[in-house]
Amino acid sequence: MATVLRSQCAFARLFVGKTGQILNNAIDLGVKLAPEPQSALLSKNYSNYAHSPFVTKIKKEQYEYEIVKKPPEWTYVERLLPFNTIPAVTPKETYPSGWIPPREEAKNLPFFLPRTKFHDLPIYLHVTYRGMRKISKIKRIEGDIWLLNDEIKKYLKEKNKRYVETRVQEVARFIEVKGDHVNYLIEWAHTKGF
Amino acid sequence: MTSVLISAIKRLHISITPPLRLYSSNVTVTPANTNLTITRKEWAFQPQYTKPREVWIENLDTVEEQKLGLFELHPSVYAASPRIDIMHQNVIWQRKVRWVSWAHTKTRAEVRGGGRKPWPQKGLGRARHGSIRSPLFRGGGVVHGPRSGKSHFFMLPFYTRILGLTTTISAKLAQDDLHVVKDLELPTDEPGYLEELIEKRNWGPSVLIVDDTDYAPRNITAALDNLPHVNIMPVYGLNVYSMLKHDTLVLTIAAAEKIEERILRLLHSDTRQQQRAFQLDQV
Amino acid sequence: MGSRQIVEKSLSMLRSLPRISLANIRDNPNCKKKSKRGRAQHGGDKHGAGNKGSGQRQNFMRLGYETGNNPFYLRVPQEHYYRGHHLKREYPPFTLLQLQTIIDKDWVDISKPIDIASIIKSGIYTFYPDQKQFGIHLTDEGLDNFSAKINIEVQWASEQVIAAIERNGGVITTAYYDPHSLFLLKNPKKFFESGQAIPRRMIPPPDAIEYYTSAKTRGYLADPEEISKERLKLAQKYGYDLPNIENDPNYNMLCERKDPRQIFYGLQPGWVVNLKDNCILKPKDQDLLQFFNS
Repeated sequence: MATVLRSQCAFARLFVGKTGQILNNAIDLGVKLAPEPQSALLSKNYSNYAHSPFVTKIKKEQYEYEIVKKPPEWTYVERLLPFNTIPAVTPKETYPSGWIPPREEAKNLPFFLPRTKFHDLPIYLHVTYRGMRKISKIKRIEGDIWLLNDEIKKYLKEKNKRYVETRVQEVARFIEVKGDHVNYLIEWAHTKGF
Repeated sequence: MTSVLISAIKRLHISITPPLRLYSSNVTVTPANTNLTITRKEWAFQPQYTKPREVWIENLDTVEEQKLGLFELHPSVYAASPRIDIMHQNVIWQRKVRWVSWAHTKTRAEVRGGGRKPWPQKGLGRARHGSIRSPLFRGGGVVHGPRSGKSHFFMLPFYTRILGLTTTISAKLAQDDLHVVKDLELPTDEPGYLEELIEKRNWGPSVLIVDDTDYAPRNITAALDNLPHVNIMPVYGLNVYSMLKHDTLVLTIAAAEKIEERILRLLHSDTRQQQRAFQLDQV
Repeated sequence: MGSRQIVEKSLSMLRSLPRISLANIRDNPNCKKKSKRGRAQHGGDKHGAGNKGSGQRQNFMRLGYETGNNPFYLRVPQEHYYRGHHLKREYPPFTLLQLQTIIDKDWVDISKPIDIASIIKSGIYTFYPDQKQFGIHLTDEGLDNFSAKINIEVQWASEQVIAAIERNGGVITTAYYDPHSLFLLKNPKKFFESGQAIPRRMIPPPDAIEYYTSAKTRGYLADPEEISKERLKLAQKYGYDLPNIENDPNYNMLCERKDPRQIFYGLQPGWVVNLKDNCILKPKDQDLLQFFNS
């Protein structure tokens, strides 16, 4: 198609010179394809009053086209359309990006942290007051929330060697931990299999 | 709660297949001795931890209640944590979003008269004034009063509205105000039949019937025409205000499935394009 | 029942409470702060406007005015550090770590060539063509752990990123898309619904031609012979064995490239895609075919 044209036109701008201009949507890309203009689209210069042709009757009102039903290229079209729902992750041997899949054993625990729709853990960091307040929030908790709270406090106390303050909200199903403990919490959640 | 149901089933002398997941959707298992059907479902997004809910499938053919089978419901939609505050926010949103306040007061420029300085600036010993319609005067204009045609449109976040629906439906199910019905075929088009049915079955005086399509059999539409406290609506009209206003919620099987399917799809898809339409540009 | 499971507990509590109706629901306490006009000493009196002067009379001085002395914006001369910044092209970064994430999570299909449309479809990357952003700049964060054999087409990539992709047996190309094509790639569904014919992609502007015709940066206009030479050179420079992609079963997929005038894979300029009826309208007229194929 345009393979020959590519190499011809690549440096066409250099040969045109300083004053010459090749428009971005020029049909021949600056390379003179044929000595004589072949059709109305390629040749007429309408920007100059002196050299533009008189308006004549337009011969074709509508261009011919064919309708191809169930074309073989439809797979390419479907590839471009957005997802209906976020796809599930197929199991693989390794995940080089560091993503850890949830394990089935986690469902036997007295509490549960379901993954978000993007398959990530529901543990977030909220930073307010110009960075002076950091709160690690664990959302969407199911099961026994008070037991989960006790476990987290114990785990974080070991890691930080300090008492860690938490806030349990049963109705909204979240636990807020004072401070930035997101990495520890994610580690803990992965060990549990969530 | 499931154990109560299972003991009830045992008392009815029917056998249930063990709770194994069968890998084809909507498999109906008919046990040996009766014509009850128990439907175990395979959803696109399986419940992870919370157990699915089970409801009886009832009929509207006879005034007497007949249980036609058991039906499973997804916990994400029918067993959500009851959030009274989210329900309240949704109800307030529904009330305000379409309301336009037509209250109107005139400002000092709009009140008739008051173009002339009432008395000279100095010499009289009276307070200085520029017009008799200033807000200080009796009969003068109102300063920051209501101005006609004020809309109270605002959009509640997308997922707050979804949560409102799931919370309300779960609350209805938990308080025994949700009934799943096989279809809406009534034997007569008398409104009295439905009134008797509601009375007999101890459903609340007001009933909201939800069907999956917006056309229904003739009998029920004719009966409901004369019953203002019993209303029928399609799935796309389901809203928190209507569900709370009516005491009982009656869903057809198709409607229950459609609600489940739609809400699950929205909870598991990337809705940023849809939400962009209502996002504020201002910071 | 005494369940400690929060959802079961709350739903079973509801059974012994009155029916939830419009009359007995309320929002959380202190969620709505009533803002009233301040009265009296604290909050009232001057209402934050100070005493007399232009401030209290709400007749403020113009921005930058310094009550008479020569203001800063007139005193300090211009320094053209950022002259022409509004004309420069931008390429928002997309890391190799993010790319590996979408490959791991199956949001992009690596058995097909990856281009900017597939990366936007995955949802992890957005860019704004109307803000002079011209495509993806693949950066080297996550370079060490990157291991996926892909055929990827980006708009800008540095040497070590190219090396990281080719080390795993993949193919990387840098291609230019003009702003109109970028709008199409960002939201192909919206474009197909508009019923227009797929246009041709434009050639790069003069200051970008060098980048896209050089084999070193794997430009789409470069000579394929030069590119294979550069691949070998890069393998020697970074010290890895260049995998032989000719023997790969996915060789055809890895070598698949778009024509310089093509915007979408598999779809030629001039076609009209009808999503509703699942068909494609292709022009038959000679003039049109010549125009779109040029």
